[in-house]
Amino acid sequence: MTAQRFFPFALIMLFALSLANLLFGAVSLSLHDIWQGLFVGSEQHFTVYEYRLPRLFLAILVGAGLALSGALVQGVIRNPLASPDVLGVSHGAGLAAVFYMTYFNGASTEWLPEVALSGGLCAALILWYLCGAHSSAIKLAITGVALAAFWASCIDFLMLTKPLEINNALLWLTGSLWGRSWPQLQALLPWFVLVPFALGLSKYLNVLDLGDDSANSLGVSPQSVRLLSLAIAVALTAACVSVCGPIGFLGLVAPHLTRKLVGGRHQSLLPATMLTGACLLLAADLAARTLAPPIELPAGILTAIIGAPYFLWLLLRMK
Amino acid sequence: MLLSVIKRLTTTLCTLMFMSSAYAVTVQDSKGTFTLDHTPQRIVVLEFSFADALASVGVAPIGIADDKDKSRVLPAVQQVIGDWQSVGTRSQPSLEVIASLKPDLIIADISRHESVYDDLQKIAPTLILPSRRETYSDNLKAASIIAKVVGKEQEMTDRLVQHQQFMAHIAQQLPDHAILQFGVARADALFLHTDDSYTGGVIQALGMQTPVSDRDDSAYRQTSLEQLVALNPEYLIVGHYANPSIVDNWSNEPLWTVLTAVQNDHVYRVDPNIWSRCRGILAAEHIANDLLQIFSEQ
Repeated sequence: MTAQRFFPFALIMLFALSLANLLFGAVSLSLHDIWQGLFVGSEQHFTVYEYRLPRLFLAILVGAGLALSGALVQGVIRNPLASPDVLGVSHGAGLAAVFYMTYFNGASTEWLPEVALSGGLCAALILWYLCGAHSSAIKLAITGVALAAFWASCIDFLMLTKPLEINNALLWLTGSLWGRSWPQLQALLPWFVLVPFALGLSKYLNVLDLGDDSANSLGVSPQSVRLLSLAIAVALTAACVSVCGPIGFLGLVAPHLTRKLVGGRHQSLLPATMLTGACLLLAADLAARTLAPPIELPAGILTAIIGAPYFLWLLLRMK
Repeated sequence: MLLSVIKRLTTTLCTLMFMSSAYAVTVQDSKGTFTLDHTPQRIVVLEFSFADALASVGVAPIGIADDKDKSRVLPAVQQVIGDWQSVGTRSQPSLEVIASLKPDLIIADISRHESVYDDLQKIAPTLILPSRRETYSDNLKAASIIAKVVGKEQEMTDRLVQHQQFMAHIAQQLPDHAILQFGVARADALFLHTDDSYTGGVIQALGMQTPVSDRDDSAYRQTSLEQLVALNPEYLIVGHYANPSIVDNWSNEPLWTVLTAVQNDHVYRVDPNIWSRCRGILAAEHIANDLLQIFSEQ
């Protein structure tokens, strides 16, 4: 599929999935109900305007944000198996969140996003401190994976020593859009000013693909491109994870799938991967809400169900 | 002009005060002051303990977060309240189903539902109280608050007196100061419910004790077989969430036979859902009856 055919198709998918997210749920609504629900005082106002609409926007933003981060990291590390997880950002955010939930269990959950956000950013700073600005992509990836494993083991340690808090912590660590609404959307939206900058990096990321030496001779500093792309990826990931928890595999599957469809040219890959990510998370959340109503599954479980086999298939194919 | 503003303000205040004294009920919940100006008719509860409190005064909720498994609601509660609609899991109840029920009161758990408190408030007035990890006395306090909000304060006072008499009556028929340990067994772990847990509180209210340990003070303690042997309770009561559970596996080990409770054949099985998940006046009375049956069979 070429990029020209991908974009109309993805936009139609996005629209169809958005509509389905508004129509279906534990309670099915008609188009008329949805229109009415947008106005204060109507019968379905809460379900449509306070519940499904903000959640729909959040799914689009978080899906797009995580997928874009994934594409940036894959572009920088030049490995299709890389993802924002490789930088340890989501695990760092997870550790901060679990620590907060276990040791401050009387504290209000209101501060959880801020705590998770600072945890994710701190994890990225530690990685940066360990690697320095001039390290190679492979050093960055290996150090990042090691750090991520370390954060993950700290999370396990906390949950083993405080088994009581496990339920809340596990729920958060799976990643879910349940209970997220306009305030979370407001908190997330400012971070998306980074998106144009990321798109602006496309040309340089293409050059980076040719190798550091070629990039240097073409007048592009690989270090600065790497640093900028990773900084944007880290910020977007930390912001998305702080709101919804680490939604697994999205940052890995979405860019990889898109690369297969539209090719590796970053000018089309980056916007396309955002669309794919948004569609994937919309589909996951729709399934999470409608598979067994009124039970709401965490969306992260659904993305993992799609993501894990895809990852395995990828590994097998790479041999 | 200033005078007229003050005058108008005073009248408004007076009207407000009059209104509140005429219709409203005010209680303290986990978020501060909660006021309701009507007697609720359509109540949705997001924990089992709240359903128990309502059933104790003969009020039926229309929706319960029952994890989509009606059998999790205590049979005694079911008898009182009849049928209800499930609003999903207790950890992530479906807000759209709650909204579709058009409740006029929601009772939520501060431990699980604080993050959606604002959303719940948009659906209906929300009373938020502790439920998960509450103690026996916390539970009775919460029940009193709930009764006051639904306009059954007097009924609850009477019911609590009756409850205390019932518990005292059962306690007389049970051995004094017997050392009894309750725990729930999953496939891979045993969690003991200590003095600070809900069930520990019920056991104390029945004049018995849980074994003393100075290891830590948490209400629910994950325990290995060696640690259980060190505690060595006279009576061991286990609710099995899994089949076979870790305790079933332990029973094949030599160390298991060292336990006094095993040697005297004082190990019993109970329903973990009722003993650990339900919590409430009716649940406590069910536990008391279970214990009476266990001890009378000896």
